Amino acid sequence: MGLMKAPENTPVWVNVDRCKACDICVDVCPAGVLAMVPSDKTILGATISVQVPEACIGCNDCELHCPDFAIYVADRKEYKFAKLTEQAKERAEAIRKNHYMVLSA
Amino acid sequence: MAFNYDEYLRTDKMPTLWCWGCGDGVILKSVIRAIDKLGWNMDDVCVVSGIGCSGRFSSYIDCNTVHTTHGRTVAYATGIKLANPDKHVIVVAGDGDGLAIGGNHTIHGCRRNIDLNFILINNFIYGLTNSQTSPTTPQGMWTVTAQYGNVDPTFDACKLAEGAGATFIARETVNDPRKLEKMFVEGFKHKGFSFFDVFSNCHINLGRKNKMGEAVQNLEWIDSITVSKKKWEKLSEEEKAGKFPTGILKQEEKPEYCELYDKVIEAAQNKTKVQL
Repeated sequence: MGLMKAPENTPVWVNVDRCKACDICVDVCPAGVLAMVPSDKTILGATISVQVPEACIGCNDCELHCPDFAIYVADRKEYKFAKLTEQAKERAEAIRKNHYMVLSA
Repeated sequence: MAFNYDEYLRTDKMPTLWCWGCGDGVILKSVIRAIDKLGWNMDDVCVVSGIGCSGRFSSYIDCNTVHTTHGRTVAYATGIKLANPDKHVIVVAGDGDGLAIGGNHTIHGCRRNIDLNFILINNFIYGLTNSQTSPTTPQGMWTVTAQYGNVDPTFDACKLAEGAGATFIARETVNDPRKLEKMFVEGFKHKGFSFFDVFSNCHINLGRKNKMGEAVQNLEWIDSITVSKKKWEKLSEEEKAGKFPTGILKQEEKPEYCELYDKVIEAAQNKTKVQL
């Protein structure tokens, strides 16, 4: 009981209708996978987005810390997650310093 | 596959009315995961909540729920448990609900050791009514009823529960949902009064006015005032000031109230005195 089917080849996916842009998931992500993008639908003017899905290490921290049931992470048995690289760590730190907003390319 | 929380939620009530980043959502999530882990049927679970932000808890979880009057959660839950001793009753109260107006019910629930799971969502402030001082507000903090700083000594809820006689006492924070889930699993399995003191963040009504920033900074502050039980035991008395131990603080076996009450029923049927 309590399982849902994951979209194909997706390590982490979000439900933007539930996101309130509290930044917690972006802060806990060690690999800089998630970032906030501007949005006119939430009070805080931002919403969650999956920016670099291929860097996800499957630690599940974002899903567990999300208070609004907006993030889901695939099962380790079904998806081969990446390893945590120095580049990913630096990206995560840069996003945190950028007030959790997406880094412009 | 991913964990499907929606199976346990009233999805028509989503998104929740709680503020962005509110720890209540993390606690709700951990309770759902613990119930799933224990394999409980949602028809056998009753969630009782009182008034406050924590009172919304019963609106979102899809099981038998009662949204009761302010501070009387344990009183209602005691009745529900005595009438249905084989069901699981989870009580959710805030620090104002469970320690201030409902403090008397909390201590007598602990004393009777009735098989309730009492989750105290402790966010150090009256959040719903906009930042009045609660029994757990740290000294020196600004609230609307203590505009020059709060001087009331801080309440340690776990010590109250221990003194009152609860048989399972644990403290955890919303910073670590994995530990939170584990604590709920252990406590829900325990037969007797399980008291969970869960530190939660209220960055809107406590954090903002005390210049502690948004949700993330508030969670860091909670992290700074808690230490694991193992580390706590090694700290000196001075280092312990202003800090709280986390983990399972007490677990013991004592006669449970519903079982004791069965003896009263037996005595009444046989017209004898209760045999203890």
